[in-house]
Amino acid sequence: MLEAAALSKSFGDHVALHPLTLRVAPGEILCLLGANGAGKTTTINLFLDFIPRSGGRALVDGLDVAAEPLETKRRLAYIPEQVQLYRTLTGVENLDYFQRLSGRPPLDRAALLALCDRVGLPAGAADRRVSTYSKGMRQKVGIAIAIAKEARALLLDEPTSGLDPQASNEFSALLAVLRDDGVAILMATHDLFRARETGTHIAIMKHGRMVDRFAAADIGHADLERLYLDHMRN
Amino acid sequence: MLATIVRKEFTEMLRDGRVRLAAVALLALLAGALLHGRAQTRALVAERAAAQAATRADWLAQPAKNPHSAAHYGIYAFKPRATLATLDDGVDPYVGVLTWLEAHKRNEFAYRPAQDATGAQRAGALTAAVTLQLLVPLLIVLLAAGAFATEREHGTLRQLLALGVRARTLGAGKAFGVAAALGVVLVPATVLGVAAIVGLGGDTAHDLPRAGMMVVGYLLYFAAWLGVVLAISARARTARVALAGALGLWMLTTVLAPRLVTELARALRPTPSAAAFTAAIRSDLEQGFDGHAGQAEAMEAFRRRVLAQYRVDSVSQLPVSFAGLELEEGERIGNLVYDRHHARLWDRFAAQERVRTASAVVAPVLAMRALSMGLSGTDVAHHRAFAEAAEGYRRTLVTAMNADMTRNARGTDFDYKADRSLWGTVGAFDYDGPSLGATLTEHAGALAILGAWAVGGVLLLTGAVARLRP
Repeated sequence: MLEAAALSKSFGDHVALHPLTLRVAPGEILCLLGANGAGKTTTINLFLDFIPRSGGRALVDGLDVAAEPLETKRRLAYIPEQVQLYRTLTGVENLDYFQRLSGRPPLDRAALLALCDRVGLPAGAADRRVSTYSKGMRQKVGIAIAIAKEARALLLDEPTSGLDPQASNEFSALLAVLRDDGVAILMATHDLFRARETGTHIAIMKHGRMVDRFAAADIGHADLERLYLDHMRN
Repeated sequence: MLATIVRKEFTEMLRDGRVRLAAVALLALLAGALLHGRAQTRALVAERAAAQAATRADWLAQPAKNPHSAAHYGIYAFKPRATLATLDDGVDPYVGVLTWLEAHKRNEFAYRPAQDATGAQRAGALTAAVTLQLLVPLLIVLLAAGAFATEREHGTLRQLLALGVRARTLGAGKAFGVAAALGVVLVPATVLGVAAIVGLGGDTAHDLPRAGMMVVGYLLYFAAWLGVVLAISARARTARVALAGALGLWMLTTVLAPRLVTELARALRPTPSAAAFTAAIRSDLEQGFDGHAGQAEAMEAFRRRVLAQYRVDSVSQLPVSFAGLELEEGERIGNLVYDRHHARLWDRFAAQERVRTASAVVAPVLAMRALSMGLSGTDVAHHRAFAEAAEGYRRTLVTAMNADMTRNARGTDFDYKADRSLWGTVGAFDYDGPSLGATLTEHAGALAILGAWAVGGVLLLTGAVARLRP
């Protein structure tokens, strides 16, 4: 569903991403681990066609993102580190707006409220302006937007950083549901624990290169931490 | 999808307390300006109609007297206040509202309200036109500067573009959304504007098409501003940068440029001072010009010409009053001089106007101002038309007096007394201003520049949105 083939990006002399090849199939969660500047966000930006690539290709559902920038975006959903919403609008108004703009048929109010409930927004919060929302609540609205869009691929850029453990846990549980529904998920994260818990695959990135890649089931948490730190030290 | 974006932009703006405050303040200012303009028009229309009737009554009430004395007694011409001057009083406060029509002399206009105004009044006379031309663009800046830049800064633009929204749809949605919010101010403003000019005794058939054209002009002007500010917002990294850029543009093109351009027009196309103008006319009258003889010499030649024409040796043998003929000839020669100097002066004013209109290429407010004054009947062209009409009436009146004297004062000349019935033979002064067609022709350049700005604004926005980056 998500595929990079020798995808690369340079900013002048600086190579932000060396040729990268990866695939995320439906029902898989690939977690990109790595320090800041490792190329995780660059990879996501290239899939979104927000920055022009320097080489290779990025495909969504077999379509090249640079050739079909609108069509590929309609098939995926993007959740940034901080989901940003329109502060003067309520949660349900925000959800409605993003839903309508994603080109999907609009949902009625009951369906929107059901969605808010499904992602675990506290009762009554849906009709409050989002300026009163915590970060965890905003991330939940982000997930609700992705679910409403019925996206077949999900791009997540450190979506749980700064969330308290409970919120982070709830978020991961929602991701697991989407994974089980057959959504292909590419997630950049710093959270080794969550990566192993919810990810199906893990890739470690360093200085714009993918230096390791393995199935999450093949590794214990302690081993993952050791492996990660070894890569960072070398 | 477009409707969704428009509705969301509109809702967001209405929920923003700053926007509500700015809109209410603008409407209040506009209502104040209109109320003041209406009161002024109502007073001036009545005042000038009464004064015009009074000066006519004075003229008609003259006792039997020598026609030339009557011509010296003269009459005043009062410039009628246009109904639409309620919206834009244009150059009226600066050019004077009345002139005294008498024998021999083309007098300057007197009573310029600006002369009696304080500096503060002169700098900031708040008319509806000033509000619309200066403050509505400012409101557009406040509404539209953040349209893209705030979303870019907050990160919502990233999320929107990640949805697969077409940037052009987003741009159109933003434009119509701001336009809808502006409508909340401009629709009541239009209603207020119409209410302000209804019942002032104006000629609806005259005023309505002009008001309609004014609406067209303002829509073009606002569309240009909307396009330019949204384009700035689409390119700016943060809302602060966009606001600073758009405000800077407003300051430069709308506050500073008109003042600079006025000075520029004066420097490029200087007009003589009032004293120099009068002195030049006096000199031409006394000493002649362009091969025309001076007054004394010209009158002597005229005397010889008349004697030859009637084949007589002295003026006492003429069948008519020579004094009458001589007065009319004096008028004829004087009018040549007056026409020459006034035409030159008016052409200078027109040249200044052309400099100002051409400058609208960089400062659209200048085009809007020219068009607004023209349609309100308060531009230089309307003043010129009135001045020419008043002068034409002066010549009709003086010529009628001279002709009566020529016919009836043989041998008595200045001792002759005309009957009171003579005064009524000259009709009352009646003035119709230039037609809408003439005004539109006069300001075709301004209208074209406004249209070009509107198209340019849309193109700028389209271009900026085509390269929209999160």
